[in-house]
Amino acid sequence: MPGDWHLLGPLEWTRYVNKEVKVTAGKDVERCGWLLTVDPVSASLVLLDFKADGQTSVDLVMGHAVKEVQVLQEPDEKTLNRLQTSFVPVRSCSLDS
Amino acid sequence: SISTSAASELDPEELQKEQHARSVLREKFLRCLFAMTNKQVYFNLHEKVKVEATFGASDIDVLNFQVSDLHTPIGVQKEALIRSRDVISCHFDV
Repeated sequence: MPGDWHLLGPLEWTRYVNKEVKVTAGKDVERCGWLLTVDPVSASLVLLDFKADGQTSVDLVMGHAVKEVQVLQEPDEKTLNRLQTSFVPVRSCSLDS
Repeated sequence: SISTSAASELDPEELQKEQHARSVLREKFLRCLFAMTNKQVYFNLHEKVKVEATFGASDIDVLNFQVSDLHTPIGVQKEALIRSRDVISCHFDV
């Protein structure tokens, strides 16, 4: 990962979105999950883990604590679909579209 | 805080691309914060301190989290603000 995570900027962060990543933070915290988004204000990462029972486990890693972000793998079609529909209300679409 | 734009010295097209990426990322983050409301959230603080609480809200700069029923090692705090600088990560299920 080039440079400090919080200095990368939106275009760089977007390159990590939807990929499975391993985040090292603080002294000894490690979190793995599918990267839903990075808050452009705090550089915090939202990681999702889709459980077999249909539940989603969410980890928020604060940008100031991030030491390293490593890409583990690209999403398959099913995972990508779940990522794109997570937290989006059923009756509305993204503000962007 | 984060610098307003890493691409501010670049051409307008690049700046627009950056602003678009910023808005997409921020919207998804805000929707995630919204989903956290009233959920039981587990906070991982510095020095291996773990606390849990019912999440209420965050301020726009993500500097503080407002929570209820904060379970600390010395008791339960009915209402509290957690400084985000003290937090390494937090976890919840949906």
